[in-house]
Amino acid sequence: MSDPTQPQQQGAELQDDVCYVALTWGHLNVQDMMNRVRSPAAGAIVLFAGTTRDNFAGKPVKELQYTAYDKLALRTMMDIAKALVAKYGLKGLAMIHRLGTVPIGEESILIAVSSPHRQAAWRAGEEALEECKARVEVWKREEFEGEGGVWRANRDGVQGQKVTEGDAAAQV
Amino acid sequence: MTSRPPNGHFTILYFASAGSFTTKNVEALPAPLPLSKLFATLEERYQGIKENVLDNSLVTVNLSYVDMPGGEDGETSDEEIVIQEGDEVAIIPPVSSG
Repeated sequence: MSDPTQPQQQGAELQDDVCYVALTWGHLNVQDMMNRVRSPAAGAIVLFAGTTRDNFAGKPVKELQYTAYDKLALRTMMDIAKALVAKYGLKGLAMIHRLGTVPIGEESILIAVSSPHRQAAWRAGEEALEECKARVEVWKREEFEGEGGVWRANRDGVQGQKVTEGDAAAQV
Repeated sequence: MTSRPPNGHFTILYFASAGSFTTKNVEALPAPLPLSKLFATLEERYQGIKENVLDNSLVTVNLSYVDMPGGEDGETSDEEIVIQEGDEVAIIPPVSSG
């Protein structure tokens, strides 16, 4: 049986009208995401880049690993994008998340939003990220120096779950 | 992308902490299986998974979220969902994108 929890190395994407969402194993490209929302009717493009931090509560993090339920994550990302385009009258919304190993300091997510005026783009960009972090079926594991990793949870009050060495090997 | 499970089985996907706990990302389990029996079936195979993983997780069947019968709200649904042969079930621990 093929393993649907392991995304195809080339990633996956969905395009619907002015919405674009994608998952990729490659590096993220800021210019490409801006171009996907570029519109003559827009007076602003807001771009958010989330980057991988080198510590969690002071504890050094070596690298991060992201995994996804591809099909469901793309569907949820598209739901979020379409709802925000309707709510804020956007001219475009593009969202891409990186999977696999992401070294410290690199982009793990990009969100680009275009709108006729800047206020809507700022607000929609922030809301897109918050919705994404709350709902999209992507998981982050922080790998610490010299020990196993921890599956992180964005939800408030939920602790990351420790992964033992043996468990970590099974995830590779 | 997902190949079908063997006859008489459904596919179950274990993401993040669920995969760490079971030490696998996917397997085939016998179908049909009432949704209300899912957690007990998994607990039988992976002792401690309910408390450590499932109680904090959501469940999807064929990409749709389902309410687990006998949940904290104590509601009982009139027509119970039964997982069918060929279905794709997933254990969804708290997400952490970004």
